[in-house]
Amino acid sequence: MATVWRSQCAFTRFFIGKIAQIPNNSSDLGTKLSLGPLSVPWVSRNYSNYAHSPFVSKVKEQYEFDVVKNPPEWAYVERLLPFDTIPAVSPKEKYPSGWIPPREEARNLPFFVSRTKNHELPIYLNVTFRGMRKITQIRKIDGDIWLLNDEIKAYLKEAAKRYVETRVHELGKFIEVKGDYVNVLRDWAYIKGF
Amino acid sequence: MTSFLINAFKRLHLSIVPNRIISSGYATAVTTSADAISVTQKEWKFPPVYTKPREVWIESLATVEEIKLGLFELHPLVYAAVPRIDIIHRNVVWQKKYRWVSWAQTKTRAEVRGGGRKPWPQKGLGRARHGSIRSPLWRGGGIAHGPRSGKTHFFMLPFHLRIHGLTSTLSAKLAQDDLHIVKDLEIPSDEPEYLIDLIENRNWGPSVLIVDDTDIAPRNITVATETLPHVNIMPVYGLNVYSMLKHDTLLLTLSAAEKIEERILHHLHSITNEQQAEFKLNQI
Repeated sequence: MATVWRSQCAFTRFFIGKIAQIPNNSSDLGTKLSLGPLSVPWVSRNYSNYAHSPFVSKVKEQYEFDVVKNPPEWAYVERLLPFDTIPAVSPKEKYPSGWIPPREEARNLPFFVSRTKNHELPIYLNVTFRGMRKITQIRKIDGDIWLLNDEIKAYLKEAAKRYVETRVHELGKFIEVKGDYVNVLRDWAYIKGF
Repeated sequence: MTSFLINAFKRLHLSIVPNRIISSGYATAVTTSADAISVTQKEWKFPPVYTKPREVWIESLATVEEIKLGLFELHPLVYAAVPRIDIIHRNVVWQKKYRWVSWAQTKTRAEVRGGGRKPWPQKGLGRARHGSIRSPLWRGGGIAHGPRSGKTHFFMLPFHLRIHGLTSTLSAKLAQDDLHIVKDLEIPSDEPEYLIDLIENRNWGPSVLIVDDTDIAPRNITVATETLPHVNIMPVYGLNVYSMLKHDTLLLTLSAAEKIEERILHHLHSITNEQQAEFKLNQI
């Protein structure tokens, strides 16, 4: 029983906010409590708003503080905050991860493969039927998708030394290549400058 | 063979492209000759990489006749996306369903009145065995597996399908010349006839959806549209696929167009794991 009382005392102390006035284990705490929702603090309550709940309002009464807008230390807080959007790539001499940046001259081609929002090439391998069917997909194609299809077919015929089947989805802006040609197509995209 | 034909067609199409550039050059020539028209070159946080920005006229509601105040650029990722009608359709179905609660109700054998007694003995009469006259086999009996009321059809469409639904619909509206940009919503009179004349004169079709950046529209336009059920005003955060399709013309203010662009571009270029997470009723 004593432990129960103690835990209740600890909880109410936080609400009342006047720690000095309340001795530990005082059994007459219930009489000192203010009326209203705090009189029965061990019953859980849902407040419509956290900012207006006694968790915050009582703290405000308890501590003296000033609200400062844009202090010089805020820059250090901002450094810790997560990025709002994925940042642009800062140009460097070389990238140790092996990432290759897109080149400017690729924008003059009649077709274009844009990078994803994470600055990666949108070339993926889709494995279905328990690994029996492998389809390479090139997504985010702009411009003349059929011309790009012809170029890919010619390049793959050269590289794989066999005819490679492709499928063009003009509205979905992607091309599917039958077989695992992710690395070959990535090399092709880097050559083109995408 | 078909790919050869298609490529021939594409080459034809490519040869047409310079003409389009000439025509746009003509448009800029017009703008430079008239001093009042302003041409805005925009600076985006995420500039378009390959596709050119779409140019639109800035119009005004101050006169019944159309006056071009300037040229404005729209980001191709938002206003020149491929109009995927499948995604648009899924958005429309979602918007119809998430608010639909079906109140259809039938009575089960337990709820139909009577039927507590065994109609005739199990054996000896030569008749089929039955335990209740309200069994689903009986005429006037309960309904087995019938609709029970209060059935919700709520579900959430995946986040990026919602985003692409918006871009697809905006792009389709712009491509069909059904999206117009106005400087502000100030009109000279508060009579609905003025708006009707204006819509008739500019061939905007009967129904117009007006989208503004703020919640509070100017007084004249709110009074004028109050008696017109087919001209509606909406804030930016209320923009949705269903309403855009329901109205013939989408009328955006300059600030609304920029706000829509900014919000959608933000979602297209940020990590959206939180938005893509499974929908929970108790999200706090």
